[in-house]
Amino acid sequence: MITIAIAKGRMQDDALALLARAGVRVAEDARNSRRLALTDDSGKYRFIFVKPADVPVYVEHGIADCGVVGRDVLLESQADLLLPLDLGIARCRIVVAAADAEIMTRSLGMLRVATKYSQIAGAHFGARGIPVEIIQLSGSVELAPALGLADLIVDLVETGRTLRENGLTVVDEIAESTGKLVVNRASYQLKPESITELVRALESALSASVNGGHGV
Amino acid sequence: MRYYIGAEARLRRTIEDTAMSVFAAWSYEEVITPSVDYYDLFEQGMGQAEAQRGFRFTDNDGRLLALRPDVTSSVARMAATLLSERARPLRFCYAAPVFRQQLQSHAEWRRENTQLGCELIGVGGHEADLEVLRLAAEILSRLNLQYVITINNVEIFNGVAAHLELAAAKREQLRRLIDTRETAELQRFLNGFGNSEGRAFLQPTQLTGKHDVINAVRKTIANARSIAALDSLEELWTAIDSRGLAEHFEIDLSDVSSLDYYTGLSLKVFVHGAGTSVGRGGRYDGLTGNFGRAEPAVGFVLNLDALTEVLARRMSNT
Repeated sequence: MITIAIAKGRMQDDALALLARAGVRVAEDARNSRRLALTDDSGKYRFIFVKPADVPVYVEHGIADCGVVGRDVLLESQADLLLPLDLGIARCRIVVAAADAEIMTRSLGMLRVATKYSQIAGAHFGARGIPVEIIQLSGSVELAPALGLADLIVDLVETGRTLRENGLTVVDEIAESTGKLVVNRASYQLKPESITELVRALESALSASVNGGHGV
Repeated sequence: MRYYIGAEARLRRTIEDTAMSVFAAWSYEEVITPSVDYYDLFEQGMGQAEAQRGFRFTDNDGRLLALRPDVTSSVARMAATLLSERARPLRFCYAAPVFRQQLQSHAEWRRENTQLGCELIGVGGHEADLEVLRLAAEILSRLNLQYVITINNVEIFNGVAAHLELAAAKREQLRRLIDTRETAELQRFLNGFGNSEGRAFLQPTQLTGKHDVINAVRKTIANARSIAALDSLEELWTAIDSRGLAEHFEIDLSDVSSLDYYTGLSLKVFVHGAGTSVGRGGRYDGLTGNFGRAEPAVGFVLNLDALTEVLARRMSNT
């Protein structure tokens, strides 16, 4: 049996839907329960549902063999994992946003950046030589500029609606993020048949949805 | 920081003794190297990036010292200087703690690890590669571990990178994409190179396996350097197979993690029960030249602390 850690929240529904198309099904009543560990119908896979930031931790330690998690989380964690498949689910962007779009060019002092992604934000501004002070938040980052906590935010954007409703505009796009299949390095070598089977099943589910003209 | 008390300490000692007795049976002489040495030694021996992970401090006269981040550097220097007149090949083994500042990686956080290792200096070719692989296999079998040793030849990648005429930064990007098997990104990267040889690395599920991996990759790779490396890897595989060891070995063409260090064979050791590799090694023919006497060399290390953890957990489960 192999263990797959899945990021809770939006990723969880998209991932289970994709897995179902790949022939890995979880019974409906189990899916609707609040259990954090489930086994699929075939008994080949065990799923654990954890906070997104914990997926790379479980997989890197080999407690889970595989994981499904957004690229945003992987960039932030810098865990040493294999990333064999881009699942194309839960697509969004990591952006820099501000209330005042000109602030980047007008301000020569230290800009304050509020974010949940301090690694990504630090690397982004560091590479451009822009001095920033990073303020680590754990949620509702869009509030920070309005309340005067920060000049800029670095956050995930899906439709842009939350940004607009909080009076923010996108100043720069750092990266696109989609759900990735991640694999523990040791599991890849020690359970090659099971992992290959999963990768191939997901690959064909992905190409079927592309050929069928349905975006995922 | 880790204490081993009573039964755990005994277990750890037994594992060390097992490895050292296998080394001794293969005529490897034990060597004990200095724990503190000049930092320059390790920079010459490991390259700057790796050596800088060592703990560094200064002597009274201001010279930069380091707490040994590896043993191989010291053994290579010893072979090239103290033992330059001794008949080849040289066979050395050791059990010694090494100290490194760890990167952000969550799973391998320890600053101190004890390496069980060996170096075979002064002979090249498959016979020498095969010797250290058989040694590693024998130690792991004697410890009753379920294990897989992956092998690769780094010249396969180097040939492709040279063929694509990549600048250093692009080469590093290609290396990282192959190392993490990021197929989709790799595809995008290779689109700029037409119908190139890099396509050999595009099938993540076909880069690891037995003999057929080599046949598959031969269809896309045509540069002479990579082909010579593939031939060499194939010969090594045939030798492994003929000794009945194929079930414990896998070819992994995506193991390109230490290209600047290894010059031919590279290997990694995985055991059931450990989430990260528990050993690594390969051929480093370029190393002893840094100390004034260029000659072929091959070796590996096993992580005693990681092995102890796996076996201790097994002991407490039964």
